[in-house]
Amino acid sequence: MEFRPILNALKRRKTGAILVALQVAITLAIVINAIFIIGVRSEKIGRDTGMDVNNIFTVSVRGFGPNFNVVESIKQDLRMIRSMPGVVSATISNHIPLSGSGSGTGLRTVPDLTIESTGTARYRFSEHGIETLGVNISHGRNFKANEVEFVEADSNPPTPPGILVTQALADSLFPEGGALGKQVFWGDMSESTIIGIIEKMHGSWVGWDKLEHVVIQPGKPAYQRNRYIIRTEPGERDRLMLEVEEKLSANSPNKIIQRVRSLEEHAARSYQRDRAMSIILVSVIVLLLVITGLVFLGLASFNVKQRTKQIGTRRALGATKTDIVRYFMLENWIITTGGAILGIVLTVGLAYWLETEYSLPRLNFIYIPVGVAILWVLGQLAAYMPARRAATISPAIATRTV
Amino acid sequence: MFLYYLRISMHSMKRNPLLSGLMIVAIALGIGVSMTTITVYYLMSADPIPQKSSQLFAVQLDSWGINHPFDRDRPERAPHQLTYRDATALVAAKKAKHQVAMFESTLIVEPEKDKPYLSMLRVTSSDFFPMFQVPFLYGAGWTANDDERASQVVVLSKETNEKLFGGENSVGRRLRMGAKEFVVSGVMDTWNPTPRFYDVINGGFNEVADMMIPLSLTEPMELKSAGSDWGWKAESINSFKDWLNSESAWMQFWVELEDSMAVDDYKNFLDAYVTEQKELGRFERPLNNHLQSVMQWMAHNQVVREDNKVLVGLSVLFLLVCVLSAVALLLTHFLGKSEEVALRRALGANRLSIFGQHLVEVSLTGVIGGALGVLFALGGLQAIKYLYSGQGFDHLVQLDIFLVLFAAVLAWLASLLAGFYPSWKLCQESPAGFLKTQ
Repeated sequence: MEFRPILNALKRRKTGAILVALQVAITLAIVINAIFIIGVRSEKIGRDTGMDVNNIFTVSVRGFGPNFNVVESIKQDLRMIRSMPGVVSATISNHIPLSGSGSGTGLRTVPDLTIESTGTARYRFSEHGIETLGVNISHGRNFKANEVEFVEADSNPPTPPGILVTQALADSLFPEGGALGKQVFWGDMSESTIIGIIEKMHGSWVGWDKLEHVVIQPGKPAYQRNRYIIRTEPGERDRLMLEVEEKLSANSPNKIIQRVRSLEEHAARSYQRDRAMSIILVSVIVLLLVITGLVFLGLASFNVKQRTKQIGTRRALGATKTDIVRYFMLENWIITTGGAILGIVLTVGLAYWLETEYSLPRLNFIYIPVGVAILWVLGQLAAYMPARRAATISPAIATRTV
Repeated sequence: MFLYYLRISMHSMKRNPLLSGLMIVAIALGIGVSMTTITVYYLMSADPIPQKSSQLFAVQLDSWGINHPFDRDRPERAPHQLTYRDATALVAAKKAKHQVAMFESTLIVEPEKDKPYLSMLRVTSSDFFPMFQVPFLYGAGWTANDDERASQVVVLSKETNEKLFGGENSVGRRLRMGAKEFVVSGVMDTWNPTPRFYDVINGGFNEVADMMIPLSLTEPMELKSAGSDWGWKAESINSFKDWLNSESAWMQFWVELEDSMAVDDYKNFLDAYVTEQKELGRFERPLNNHLQSVMQWMAHNQVVREDNKVLVGLSVLFLLVCVLSAVALLLTHFLGKSEEVALRRALGANRLSIFGQHLVEVSLTGVIGGALGVLFALGGLQAIKYLYSGQGFDHLVQLDIFLVLFAAVLAWLASLLAGFYPSWKLCQESPAGFLKTQ
């Protein structure tokens, strides 16, 4: 319909229109890139860990004094924990998955140091580890109780006869498949056999690209600090966290109980920066849209006030209320669209800068129409109110001052 | 004249509260958001020890294996920590003005009255205190003599002294830790270098440790590192001694060198040391030793996080959007004033005074917006503190005088930038044009 008159009117106030379009363009560039970054982070945070994250918690115990016997203490603690109603399973462990603290190593398929090894997180659990973490053995078998022994600090543990690896690690080591039953070599060239493959499990460092590379050796680490991992029935975790802490400290004057922490909290801490970044970006987007919306609103209101007489005249000449509303909405749409076209160029430019200057992945172009749609809706919403007010201007206004 | 302009400006703003209010909000949000991210960035990238940051150097020795570069993607990078063997050998060599090796560890503290607890401590040598200009509330650091004799002495942080001794002068008092009797040699005053430059590997914004004890206690007390340790070699480790002699790197090492000649000399010394070690079959890689000053070390280890740089970039764009909003609003606002301006021109006001008056009006908007923006930034920083709680951001969310001034100038510049074109446009109007319709 009335594209021409709108364009003519805009031409007469072109500086203002260009400024708003420019604002739309930069807003679009920020919004699209920010939504994209949020998307990437949310995906990272939401990855399936392979573990029963919601029902697991961990405790760290450190004994001291001359009468403290690590092995006895671990046996006693675990017996006590396992006897508590609501506990599904518990194990001693060298490290806690998702916690950001762990141990890493390199494995090879041939005993040759000149060949690059495959990096992986390394854990040492008892035969209860699999059930405690709630991970799934898809091929092969778990450790047997007689394969698991106490391993003391500062001693080179005997190379384990059999190890468990995650599917991801198995695929990296043996791309052609058939990892089960194969030999792998540690840094000291000793060898182990893969006796089981875990479908999926996350290791310690959530920022590492090999997060799903995990190898598990059998063993009960009897180090200075003993870390217990405990899995509970659904809904029992928080109660048991309190009870376990209480019971552990009650019967042991020579132990310090530390970091009773759910696996969820370990993960939340590890992903804290990603979550904070997402929340900051959401705030930036919201504020940006508020500003842009308010500016649309303010300018449209002012225009309506300025053009009261013209609007009255148009109404007197037969324009319907709908025509008036449509005029202002269309005007806004033209400015927004003009800005969006420039905005897409800016968006791609900003994305390129973020990608080359920082380690951000390449922008997924699906986010561009999303951003444009958001600004269209915002513009139309902001223009609607003043436009409605414009439509109520009576045709009689036109006659008044003449 | 200025006061008169100011009065007209306030009058003008009151006449159009919607547009003026929006302008103030736009400037305030722009300043609020950008100051929040800039503050964090500014404090993250600050020089933690400006008096001597160019004289303190982190030492790197490439002790990794011939087939094992420390960083496979960038093999020219040397490991960022040293082995116990090398760190203690370099401390003993005393070739620099000051040298200090250190790591973080934990010990069980058994206070006389309270329950035992696990304490984070830094195990280091006596040079730490003069070298990093650690302020003392009571007493002082231990001496080189204590280093040599592995004395059981301890330096407490102010908080730890408050916790254990109620904040009184505890120098000479005894403290049971790790089943041994220690004597307090000093209590540090509040000291929080930000970033914690001397150990950015284990958290550049972490707090200074609760206490410090001599490095020479490592062996007798079998102290293990609570920080990160890196290794490349499979070694047979059957005792604590094996561990200390291993190729595992878990110590930070710093030297103080007064001028470039001293730097060259020390570099030569390091190369000579490594060459000597090569004869023992260690250091398989080509010579790759580095001395990096405090600020170089911060950059090398990317202490300022990428996210924070991206946020500064985005928030500057955000401010630009706000300035554009303000320009658009001002243009519209001033458009409605053409008649008034024409009248004033007709009554004898020249272009320059019209222009000046409007810049005053714009500045007033900027000042109000800026002040509001600083309040927003304070809120924003509290939100950042909450979002990053536990990440040592507490020292990164404080506005200082410099930042507030920066915000004020930024707000004023932003508003002037926004107001320049509309004001100029307005005073181009000819007086006649608008008077006609009256």
